[in-house]
Amino acid sequence: MIEFDNVGLHYGTGPEILRNLNFKIDPGSFHFLTGPSGAGKTSLLRLLLLSLRPTSGKLTMFDKDVAGLDKEAMMAMRQHIGIVFQEFRLLEHLTTFENVALPLAVRGEPEASYRSNVQELLDWVGLGHQINARPELLSGGEKQRAAIARAVIAKPELLLADEPTGNVDPELAERLLHLFVELNRMGTTIILATHELHLLDQFRFPRLQLQDGEVSIHD
Amino acid sequence: MIDQFLNRNRSEISVVPRSSIAGRTLALLVAIMTFLSCVTFGAVYMVQNSAVAWSSEVGREITIQLQPVQGDEMTSNVRTAISLALDSPGVGSAKELTIEDSERLLAPWLGDEFDLEGFDLPRLVVVHLSDPRAFDRASLEEKLNQSLPDATIDSHKPWQQKLNAMSGTIVFSGLLALMLIMAATILAVIFATNGAMASNREIVDVLHFIGASDRYIAGAFQSRFFAIGLQGGIVGGAAALVFFILAGIITNYLLPSQNAEQVELLFGQFSLGWLGIIGLIIVVAIIAGLTSITSRITVHRFLAQVAP
Ligand SMILES: Nc1ncnc2c1ncn2[C@@H]1O[C@H](COP(=O)(O)OP(=O)(O)OP(=O)(O)O)[C@@H](O)[C@H]1O
Ligand SMILES: [Mg+2]
Repeated sequence: MIEFDNVGLHYGTGPEILRNLNFKIDPGSFHFLTGPSGAGKTSLLRLLLLSLRPTSGKLTMFDKDVAGLDKEAMMAMRQHIGIVFQEFRLLEHLTTFENVALPLAVRGEPEASYRSNVQELLDWVGLGHQINARPELLSGGEKQRAAIARAVIAKPELLLADEPTGNVDPELAERLLHLFVELNRMGTTIILATHELHLLDQFRFPRLQLQDGEVSIHD
Repeated sequence: MIDQFLNRNRSEISVVPRSSIAGRTLALLVAIMTFLSCVTFGAVYMVQNSAVAWSSEVGREITIQLQPVQGDEMTSNVRTAISLALDSPGVGSAKELTIEDSERLLAPWLGDEFDLEGFDLPRLVVVHLSDPRAFDRASLEEKLNQSLPDATIDSHKPWQQKLNAMSGTIVFSGLLALMLIMAATILAVIFATNGAMASNREIVDVLHFIGASDRYIAGAFQSRFFAIGLQGGIVGGAAALVFFILAGIITNYLLPSQNAEQVELLFGQFSLGWLGIIGLIIVVAIIAGLTSITSRITVHRFLAQVAP
């Protein structure tokens, strides 16, 4: 599904943040992406979201070289990708319901077709009572859950999550991780960036360990 | 209200905030531009209208001027001129402009007390033409000159030409002003649209990240800008209409009737009529259309520039 072939990345004229990336992500797999702060986890996820292009090497996603994608093809590919941003990036003027439903709305689906699905998902992540609240009224953890709900609502083939448990208590963090595991069981490929190693120990998924710009895989 | 109507058929989520500062600025701007365009258009329309009316009125009138002579001969000369005029084809009526008439006409300039009696003024016969095309000026002139060698005919042709030239200039300047206002509107809408897009950049980015096509994003912004343009256009057009109604009321009631007549003579009646109102609606539609097309192009250019 994803193949890194000697991929390197640097911002502008800065130093290489990532280099010599050589690995494959199989469809249906679940990977943790770990590494200290500033190691380049977010940068790697941005490569996978197509919001950055490799500055060297070749990145293949969904059997296509990302270098050759035009904007339209890129947007089409993104419709198969769900993303949870580290800083959530919910739209401030929309309610929780609208934020979560947004990926379906931009695909042109009528509200009637997804209303109950969105409602159900929000109940599941414990946001049923905040369905009409705007993000400014949500706590950090609630925003995080809304962001996760938005990423998964359209049943993406690939889910990228950047510190999705960073703002919640350990109990909720575990529940959310179980949500990701559940999604993975249903076929979604997942890459989840985190530096909370203690959470990972109960899951036997491979880890992509970022250190000094290079990645090593620990099964 | 308008946006709700426009959004109903798209998607229930209004991706672009209903009220943002940039949106309000744009609405105000369009309102002002529409107001200016409508007032310019209305003024041009009224000048043109009354110039046409005036010109055709003036074209229906000629005067016969008789040099003053002493005593009863004057009266008989006047009668001869009247009957000669009445015998000519295309003439509706002919009557003498008496000294009292002249005094009344000159009163605004010379004062009520002024007495023309003592002056040897030429006598005037005002001939009203029922059919200006049937009227033959040369033949009347010939007949007049047989019995009244001093008589001259004055048709207000030079006046009419001057008037037409003047109103033509006003209409041309007005249309030029209208075009400049439209051009300024386009430029201002470009700036306002770019500003609104830039201030909503986070929304554009997030929409891009969740896979929204440029077409979807552009559609969402355009329907907002269209609603804003329409709102501004309606407000500006309504304000212009109120302006014309108020101006009409003021000229009708505030000015003494005599002065009002003169104002009307110069500026036409302060009423647009149905045709003028339809014209105003067309101006509003053009501004709304221009705003919509301009913002559409600007949105597409903005989206083409931002990195997804
Ligand atoms: N837009 C940018 N322009 C220039 N440098 C950047 C940019 N974004 C990130 N960097 C740099 O790239 C490096 C990696 O950043 P990145 O955000 O990928 O780290 P991270 O692993 O996600 O860290 P954290 O765990 O704190 O989120 C950092 O040194 C950062 O300064
Ligand atoms: Mg990060």
